[in-house]
Amino acid sequence: MTVPVGPPPDWFAAHFPQLAQVIQIGAGGQKLVYSAVEATRGSVVLKLLRPPVDKEEARREILAVQTVASAHVPVIYQYGVAPSEWGDVFWIIEQLIPGETLRQIVAAGALPPTDILRLARDISEPLLAAETCNIVHRDVKPDNIMRSQDGTFWLLAFGLARHLGLSSLTATALPFGKLTPGYAPPEQFRNHKKQIDARSDLFALGVTLYEAATGVNPFRAGARDPLEMLKRVEKEPLPRLTLELTPAKEFEDLVAAMTQRRREHRPRTAREVVEWIADICRRQGI
Amino acid sequence: MDLLLQFGHGMMEHCRTLLASWSGGTAILSPRDLTPEQLTRLADELRRRCAASVLLDPQFFLPHSDHERLTSHDYWPTNYATGTFWSGSELDAMLHALDDLNLTLHTTAVILPGLLASTIDDDWLNLQAQVAARARAMLPGRQLLATVALRADALRITSQVEELLEASEEWPVDGIYLIAEHPNAGYIVEDPNWLANKLDIVAHFRLAGQRVVVGYCTHQMLLLAAAGAREFAAGTWMNVRSFPPDKFSAALEEEIRQRATWYFCPQSLSEYKVPFLDIAWRQNLLDRMRPDRRLGSSYADTLFDGAQPSTVDFAEQSAFRHYLHSLRSLAGEARRSSFADTLAAHLQMIDEAEHVCERLSLGGVTGQLRDFGRAIDANRAALAVLERTRGPVLQRRWAEL
Repeated sequence: MTVPVGPPPDWFAAHFPQLAQVIQIGAGGQKLVYSAVEATRGSVVLKLLRPPVDKEEARREILAVQTVASAHVPVIYQYGVAPSEWGDVFWIIEQLIPGETLRQIVAAGALPPTDILRLARDISEPLLAAETCNIVHRDVKPDNIMRSQDGTFWLLAFGLARHLGLSSLTATALPFGKLTPGYAPPEQFRNHKKQIDARSDLFALGVTLYEAATGVNPFRAGARDPLEMLKRVEKEPLPRLTLELTPAKEFEDLVAAMTQRRREHRPRTAREVVEWIADICRRQGI
Repeated sequence: MDLLLQFGHGMMEHCRTLLASWSGGTAILSPRDLTPEQLTRLADELRRRCAASVLLDPQFFLPHSDHERLTSHDYWPTNYATGTFWSGSELDAMLHALDDLNLTLHTTAVILPGLLASTIDDDWLNLQAQVAARARAMLPGRQLLATVALRADALRITSQVEELLEASEEWPVDGIYLIAEHPNAGYIVEDPNWLANKLDIVAHFRLAGQRVVVGYCTHQMLLLAAAGAREFAAGTWMNVRSFPPDKFSAALEEEIRQRATWYFCPQSLSEYKVPFLDIAWRQNLLDRMRPDRRLGSSYADTLFDGAQPSTVDFAEQSAFRHYLHSLRSLAGEARRSSFADTLAAHLQMIDEAEHVCERLSLGGVTGQLRDFGRAIDANRAALAVLERTRGPVLQRRWAEL
């Protein structure tokens, strides 16, 4: 894979004089990601969004993160636009979370039970915060979750977040909404906008928990293409977990409830899930 | 789960007797079967003498009805035009009149008018929303129940039920009054999807914290306890245990065409005509059909005194009271301390019923169209769907329901 080449060092020096030790740590699509050190805040992440970039979408992402303001979502410190050889680059400086993505962790195998419960507890918290301010993340998946060195899980990437009170940026007529196949629930990939709410994120978190607990996402494993993944989500219920994490199989019940194909069969709110997880964690001494 | 009495033809004395013997309860009054004066008098009597409460079903399922008694009530519009009624002053006038009547009857909640849905579509859903919104604005402080009246096919088709559940989240009501036509105008329902969707609707509204009154039920609907139902209603004749929409449009007085007397056997969950009780007597099976004492019904005792059943005095009145009293007792036991226990108890009850039905059938004793053996697989299938789709959440939130 070719990693896109970023701007030269003097460009960073000119536009971000407060940053030192700027090192590229990732790239994807129009996005370049750097770690850096800032005198006052220490280690930070610098994200550059190269043109053509949808500035409204980028602003919505920033607004979502700032509105949600969760202890499990990295803080955005600054953002703006800087000229470059590609045109105007949209940039964001945010809190650096040193650690691994859940995708990297799961690649090495399923998580131990206590980590799965921590994952459920830590990621349901920002989903509750989002629900409270009418925001849906719409892209909860292992790639967008980090585990920091102290074992805390963080929810990243609000790029697909939808503010339910703002006009949609996705064309209503599109057959499919913005999504990651195999994690998005039917109402999201069918682009039924009125039906997308916190319960859509609960579905994706449920699938993520299942994958963390088993190492496999049955909607994606061996699927020929995204369309097959979508069909599986729509037609094949997720197999029931058999981990028996808790005496009353409550965790398996929770995942089964969160991953129901129809949203009205899922828990009604993120708050309900947060309380459910808290009860399980309490019984497990976590 | 509480049994409410679904008022129908000839039920005044049954209501008085049963509710008095139960020291209370609730009757859902039927304007189709009672004049305005009878409504007021009966409601007053039940309240004062039986410590009972009443609800009023406005029965506005088919607004073009020319049923003489039904249309004689003050709340019924004199002229109904589909295009203008629901958005104009006529709806307001009807709601006002209904509110007045409900206040006179001292009802515990106002059941709102609702059309019978042949198909759950945008038109029907919009009318439901409109009625709910107007009623909420006009009757602040009153407990409002939206009528959800469904043709058999509307309840059978899952995508339509999904539409209902989605749209109803916006209705500003406190609950629903759910009534549904049985498939093929049958008594015992053999369609598992119809049952599964009914369970789904009940569970949905209960989990939303709403009151659900399920009308026109047979004992088969004891399974609704697993969906968190607290109130279901049944009556005497078949047409108040299943919902036959046509009886609300007929101009003529009710004709009860088949006046057979049926004995309800609680352990087989089946009903038997008296001639088949004679067969049970001859085959030495009658004792297996005796109701358990714990159910508290003595209305059918005479059948088990040793004589040939068709020679003893067991007529409609005793049959109806035995049915309703036994059903009330079974309903009282249907709900357990958790979803899992409730489900297990119901499955055990139908397992036992299946066993008894088989044993009786071997002796030639059958409930024919009221034999519960016909329903057992459908009940099991519907409950399996409920357990898979709603079980975890019902288990978690059972104590709140």
